[in-house]
Amino acid sequence: MSVLKTSLRSFFAHKWRMVLSGMAVVLSVAFVCGTLVFTATMNTTFNALFSVTASNVMIAPAGQDGDAEMEGGGAVTGRPETIPGALVEDVSAIDGVDQVTGVVASTSAVVVDDRNESISPSTGAPTIVSNWSEIDTRSMEVVEGSPPEGDGQVMVDLDTADNNDLALGDDLRLVTAFGDFSVTVSGIAEFEVTNPGAAIFYTDMPRAQEYLLGGTDELTNIYVDSDGRITDEALKGDIAAALGADTYKLQTADEYIEENQDAIGEVLSILEYILLGFAGLALLVGIFLIVNTFSMLVAQRTREIGLMRAIGSSRRQVNRSVLIEALLLGTIASLVGFGVGIGLAVGLMAVMSALGLNLSTEDLTIDWWVPLVGVVLGVLVTVIAAYIPARRAGKISPMAALRDPGMPGDIRAGRIRAGIGATLTVIGLASLLGTATTDDSVGASGLLALGILASLLGLVLVGPALVGLVVRALSVVLLRMFGPVGRLAERNALRNPRRTGATASALMIGLALVAGLSVVGSSMVASATDEIDNALGADYIIQTGNFTPVLPEVSRAIDEAVEGLGEVAPVHQMEGEIEAADGSTEEIWLGASPSSYADAVEMNVAEGDFTDVYEGDAVSVAADWAETAGVGVGDEVTLTFDGGDAAALTVAAVVNTGATMSSAWNVSLETMESHVPEERRALPFVVFATAADGQQEATRAALETAMEPYPQMDVRDQAEYKDLIQSQVGILLNMVYGLLALAIIVAILGVVNTLALSVIERTREIGLTRAIGLSRLQLRAMICMESIVIALFGALVGLGLGMVWGLSGQQILAMEGMEVLEIPWGTIIFVFFGAAVVGLFAALIPAFRAGRMNVLNAIATE
Amino acid sequence: MAARTEGIVKAYGTGETRVLALDDVSVDIERGRFTAIMGPSGSGKSTLMHCLAGLDTVTSGRIWVGETEITGLKDKKLTRLRRDSIGFIFQAFNLLPTLNALENITLPMDIAGRKPDKEWLDRVVSTVGLGERLKHRPSQLSGGQQQRVAVARALAARPAIIFGDEPTGNLDSRAGAEVLGFLRRSVDELGQTIVMVTHDPVAAAYADRIVFLADGRIVDEMREPTADRVLDRMRGFDAQGRTS
Repeated sequence: MSVLKTSLRSFFAHKWRMVLSGMAVVLSVAFVCGTLVFTATMNTTFNALFSVTASNVMIAPAGQDGDAEMEGGGAVTGRPETIPGALVEDVSAIDGVDQVTGVVASTSAVVVDDRNESISPSTGAPTIVSNWSEIDTRSMEVVEGSPPEGDGQVMVDLDTADNNDLALGDDLRLVTAFGDFSVTVSGIAEFEVTNPGAAIFYTDMPRAQEYLLGGTDELTNIYVDSDGRITDEALKGDIAAALGADTYKLQTADEYIEENQDAIGEVLSILEYILLGFAGLALLVGIFLIVNTFSMLVAQRTREIGLMRAIGSSRRQVNRSVLIEALLLGTIASLVGFGVGIGLAVGLMAVMSALGLNLSTEDLTIDWWVPLVGVVLGVLVTVIAAYIPARRAGKISPMAALRDPGMPGDIRAGRIRAGIGATLTVIGLASLLGTATTDDSVGASGLLALGILASLLGLVLVGPALVGLVVRALSVVLLRMFGPVGRLAERNALRNPRRTGATASALMIGLALVAGLSVVGSSMVASATDEIDNALGADYIIQTGNFTPVLPEVSRAIDEAVEGLGEVAPVHQMEGEIEAADGSTEEIWLGASPSSYADAVEMNVAEGDFTDVYEGDAVSVAADWAETAGVGVGDEVTLTFDGGDAAALTVAAVVNTGATMSSAWNVSLETMESHVPEERRALPFVVFATAADGQQEATRAALETAMEPYPQMDVRDQAEYKDLIQSQVGILLNMVYGLLALAIIVAILGVVNTLALSVIERTREIGLTRAIGLSRLQLRAMICMESIVIALFGALVGLGLGMVWGLSGQQILAMEGMEVLEIPWGTIIFVFFGAAVVGLFAALIPAFRAGRMNVLNAIATE
Repeated sequence: MAARTEGIVKAYGTGETRVLALDDVSVDIERGRFTAIMGPSGSGKSTLMHCLAGLDTVTSGRIWVGETEITGLKDKKLTRLRRDSIGFIFQAFNLLPTLNALENITLPMDIAGRKPDKEWLDRVVSTVGLGERLKHRPSQLSGGQQQRVAVARALAARPAIIFGDEPTGNLDSRAGAEVLGFLRRSVDELGQTIVMVTHDPVAAAYADRIVFLADGRIVDEMREPTADRVLDRMRGFDAQGRTS
């Protein structure tokens, strides 16, 4: 029989086992392919959108990034940056220009429906208010009513109308930096290309200028269409010559599309990294599964292989026959994985659609190289993972055919492996310890990464050596009480440490990540809570629910509500650049606030007096920057306000970075106002309110009443604010846990696989124990206990390792001001016992099958 | 009687392909005696033993172990019967590799949750002659030693009856003689009931009584056998087989 033939026979003889091992490959290839297909499809979709809407040349304010509609003109100031309306005529006069369209758009308006609910996408996508123009007719079609014309008319996009039950004639309120406007739905328009997910409201041009810009004759964007006789590049050159090269931001259609693609790409790449990260994780876990499966297959076939060698097969042939099996497994699993990946991409698109971003499967983009990448990846991993067992198979001597089955373990190799593992573990732990002692956060991150990698690899290698100790310890506590059945289970878990170790490793990786992330997450929450307890003097925190600034009208309402009851401290957050005397500069987010802020939030001051910030032209700076730039209290620094001019300021205080609420960089409101023109000033991002003694209840009531017309606003007391932070971190962690669950599922498959194989291997033993009186129930209990102890071994090592990772990770957070360490024992213990449940679950099928085994057949084999 | 069958039939397949492994077998196993079941390959001797021991079910007929009728018992009760009243010695792979010799010996009692009778256990162990090697794993024992551990295990729980399925089949003649001698002694000195399946006339000669099986039927019986008599009888069967 040829090598290929034996491989094929063996492969199909073990097809169920192969399916289990193949699952890991399928999942990881699916993740990789799914991610690639999904992002390609998103790109195609957005390409179509931008290509449709782009004009030959686009004009925007010099500082504007990306598309005003996508990026949010006026995210900080509440009013978008503008260009003069007169430009339209100037540009129209240029030779080769066919049509010039002015656009006014803003993302900082709030739309409220007649039930006093804020209409904004739940996904955090922006609410856009814009004038209805020629440009919009390229991508949208009016499906009901008519385009807005005149006072109080708005047209809404169909998806938003559907999601919020809006119909023609419905009354809405439009709240902007310039007032509170009553409007009526006059029309509904539907996207003909993909709706990017925003809620969009259109008015006519005069109204847009009135509502969004305060009635000035200005624009946020100009779309220039050529008459086709001139290239976009040339037209852009001509416009630059006419308007001045650097006065405005000029883009050709291609540049515009590319910039927007990049902006989308940035958002997508985060998703892409996360998905690919989990693909990697699944792959890593899968490697253990494959190594284990092939090791067991080889061990099981020792006699058979010995026989093949005895009758003249060469080592290479035996070796190759195992690798061919792996190749077969890898290829089939990868192809299936590719198919599943497309399904995954379609699923992701459905999720996106449910979130408001309508993606059509017609745009499904599968590059020719995607299946190739998937298959190459899957096959490579499978074959590499099968290499070690294959080599071991090749080493089997022909004598094995004559000996009893069951290979003695290669003790020397085991020792070398444990040695390498122990060394790596020590290196890893040393790096992790180094993280705690390094001051430099970049270096610390590097050490953390190295530490995580080395300790993980080390423990995986040293795992089998740990099995003896840990499994015995676990058994003393958990299994011994079950008497002889527990003892049998313990001995079975111990009999092949390498197999137990590899099986548990898969679970270990997933659980280490869970433990590490939960330590970091709960430390973040604890730090924030701690900071709120210690530093927050204010009673109430007032913010919008969607990261937009607090509009002037709302600020006034807050002021009026709290008037006489307490004090208000709005914090205006904006960008700027700070420069020290030695020339070192840093881009910063700074807060501008009235002196009442010093009472609302107590700064963690390293040097100086924070209230001095409010005396003249002064600034507080972050401690870490102060150190690197060699700046101290009393030194002069230059602060360039975004949208304003440069100011020479004296350092009044050096502040340690806080965890959540406060920026270390602060100036007084007056300082900001004297250096930034009114239309470029940031609106408050958050408003703190402190009630006078005994006025807490009254203040809260007054605030609630005042905020009633503004459903976008949230008023929270300290406890509610803590809950908010907790839930934000919680949501993030839950998403990560959700994906990690996938890695754990793969790990469970590994446990199932190992047990199923063990049961088959031990057919004779099982028959014997049944013959001498072990009941079905006892037998099943024994297999479940073995599984549980393997799972708990993985959980113990994994959770321990993860907690060490978390401790080191928290050290890096501490540098960012999150100094409290909290180990979530509840979660850790829950996961530990969860692992026992997982172990039990994994054992069910193998245990059931073992119980069903016919005693006679079991005794009669061979 | 230690065990008894009444007209048991074991059939495989139906219709044309129906094969009778046991065809109306009625046999009594006497208490405190050493009974051997002999017969050529395919005679049904192993099947008979498996049915007697509650490992296999019969198509019709009835079986008693002690006073208990085991035909029709559910798996749970059969398992308990095997655990409490029956000992086994198989041809090979009698021991769990993860347990040492002593642990293997006490396993049936451990499973049942019974404390082994210390005195009896010591006597069994010393009779089997394993004192030094009780802490050894099966892989560290010779084939003969492994079978002696298996015998000790079967005896330790003081079962009503011990079944041996070619217990010396894998041993050389010296080790085989050792094990058989030991089985003989356990009957003579400890009053143990033993049923052994074998095709080896020398092994069968250790028994008090031999039941001969051919084609699923009991064809003959012999008391106080010697190896030569058994051999003669077997030859007789062969000749019959050829002439008929």
